[in-house]
Amino acid sequence: MPNIVVLVKQVPDTYSERKLAESDHTLDRDSADAVLDEINERAVEEALLLKEAQGGEVTVVSVGPDRATDAIRKALSMGADKAVHVSDEALRGSDVLQTAKVLAAAVGKVEGYDLVIAGNEASDGQAGAVPAILAELLGVPQLTHARKVELDGTTLKVERESEEGITRLEASLPAVVSVGEKINEPRYPSFKGIMAAKKKPVETLTVADLGIDAGEVGLGNAWTSVLEAAPKPPRTAGQRVTDEGDGGSKVAEYLVAQKLI
Amino acid sequence: MVFSESDERIALRSAVFELGRKYGHEYMRRQVRSGGKTNELWDEAGKLGYLGVNVPEEFGGGGGGIGDLAAVCEELSAAGCGLLLMVVSPAICSTIIARYGTGEQKRQWLPGFAQGTTRMAFGITEPDAGSNAHKITTTARRDGDGWLLSGRKVFISGVDEADAVMIVGRIRDEHSREGRLKPALFIVPTNAEGFTYQEIEMDIASPDKQFLLFLDDVSLPADALVGSEDAALLQLFAGLNPERIMAASFAIGTGRYALDKAVEYAKTRTVWKEPIGAHQGIAHPLADAKISLELAKVMTQKAAALYDAGDDMGAGEAANMAKYAAAEASIKAVDVAVQTHGGNGLASEYGLGSLIAASRISRIAPVSREMILNFVAQNSLGLPKSY
Ligand SMILES: Cc1cc2nc3c(=O)[nH]c(=O)nc-3n(C[C@H](O)[C@H](O)[C@H](O)COP(=O)(O)OP(=O)(O)OC[C@H]3O[C@@H](n4cnc5c(N)ncnc54)[C@H](O)[C@@H]3O)c2cc1C
Repeated sequence: MPNIVVLVKQVPDTYSERKLAESDHTLDRDSADAVLDEINERAVEEALLLKEAQGGEVTVVSVGPDRATDAIRKALSMGADKAVHVSDEALRGSDVLQTAKVLAAAVGKVEGYDLVIAGNEASDGQAGAVPAILAELLGVPQLTHARKVELDGTTLKVERESEEGITRLEASLPAVVSVGEKINEPRYPSFKGIMAAKKKPVETLTVADLGIDAGEVGLGNAWTSVLEAAPKPPRTAGQRVTDEGDGGSKVAEYLVAQKLI
Repeated sequence: MVFSESDERIALRSAVFELGRKYGHEYMRRQVRSGGKTNELWDEAGKLGYLGVNVPEEFGGGGGGIGDLAAVCEELSAAGCGLLLMVVSPAICSTIIARYGTGEQKRQWLPGFAQGTTRMAFGITEPDAGSNAHKITTTARRDGDGWLLSGRKVFISGVDEADAVMIVGRIRDEHSREGRLKPALFIVPTNAEGFTYQEIEMDIASPDKQFLLFLDDVSLPADALVGSEDAALLQLFAGLNPERIMAASFAIGTGRYALDKAVEYAKTRTVWKEPIGAHQGIAHPLADAKISLELAKVMTQKAAALYDAGDDMGAGEAANMAKYAAAEASIKAVDVAVQTHGGNGLASEYGLGSLIAASRISRIAPVSREMILNFVAQNSLGLPKSY
């Protein structure tokens, strides 16, 4: 019965306008609704599917400000059993290396974990590096960009999809898996799940609780930071092609002119 | 006094809205055009327990209140895919059975309401008894152990999709020597012999239709009568407050949907230098509509909170006021949204034109604006009655 950890992140809703703060180019969390990242919903779903088939336990781990509890509750309302929430002012502006280090320490708090499931890339930062760094820090195999996950005893099989094609990976537990868009369709929390979520245990930790020095994390100590940011230029009106029998070839002409075909 | 909803209620709202967003107004348009119903959405919401939030837990429901059900109704509407039958099936029928049904009726019907697998329409309006329910003539005669029910009903929503219709009729009052009639509620299966229905053509673009019902000596077993013979008025009151709260929530959701569209459009559409939302002629009506919707919502929440706390009387006044305020706010929001869109406000692609008719439903049904004003004039203000 696998003991599964799912990493979840609260991000600004992709439906709303997302901004960086003018002062330090960190994420402006107040400008948009905060939600559980959709790719993490898929990670939670995959963990729940494994649990439903094989038993075990699902623990959600999240690093984020206090209000990330909403994203954690969402994962719990979908059916996860408990959560670890690392929340610390010192973490503001942390980069992927720092975040992965904190996550590794937090995952270490989950006794006897077998499998860590993450989304392959958060919709806000889009670095897509945390699962790999985390696996290195934990010293376990990484099976990233999964579109299919199979667990047979302690053998994990994953189909990785990349631009080059499909790769089949296999490893022994414990391991880190990151999932892509195609892995599954996440469930909606049921009313009973929502009501039950409140009663599930959430352990809140600071970086000190994890044995990490506050001086190692946060924007001031990050290896990377954003220097400059500008909003995307608005989409232009585009070119309208009226089909007078030659619509197909006109579209092709346009694509050729843009060097797209 | 607490003016914020519980964490669970807020989580429920966002979960339901997300489900609604998957279907959206486009789904409803498609269903209307193809003559389809709302089964996919209804069934999915049912499986997730959203349609049975208010059914007691012992029957497989969520054990929540009408406030939870109203939240579900509002969020689906706000996502552009409101379910009209939520106002009748889980709100009126399920509530009446849960509160006043016999043990056997609860066991028979509530598990289906809990999962959304049972749908029950509600028929009170008659051709000659609309706003005046005292003139209802649908009558049941005793027939051995059972009943023979005859009469006509009009504008009954969703009969073609329902397993049964809860019919408000009358029976002879055994305590009255003059043979007076008293109200009684019956559960009539839609496949009962002698029960027929005919669709009424309506100028509303909704997958859920209205029907004319003919009950011609429909033979019903004794236990078709809801609860006990003398409890019909209590039963009606138990069902009508949730109906009003739900009608209000449906309307508020529709208003939110229209307003969201309008705001989005006003932020992007530019015909002079600035987006049109910068012109106060556009911005102020939108702000005004927002205020009206919020006011209506607060009153709806108050009505639901009173109802769920067991204060039926207090809930009555609040529910009527909420329904009135919500209908007016919703109509205003749709009107403003159409105007904000200019010509696009009437273009099918934007889906607002059809809301002009749809948003008017809540000013007429389940109880008209005028009858609410009558209620407030007489009950809240103590003014004399003209009818
Ligand atoms: C889309 C839709 C769905 C419906 N679904 C259902 C359903 O599922 N089940 C059901 O039972 N019914 C349903 N109805 C019927 C609805 O409840 C009635 O239409 C409503 O109660 C008004 O009754 P009426 O149409 O007979 O209007 P009438 O009673 O004929 O009223 C006509 C007008 O006169 C006004 N009026 C009447 N009396 C007074 C008075 N004393 N003082 C001032 N003004 C007065 C009314 O406000 C109204 O404006 C539905 C109606 C619609 C439009």
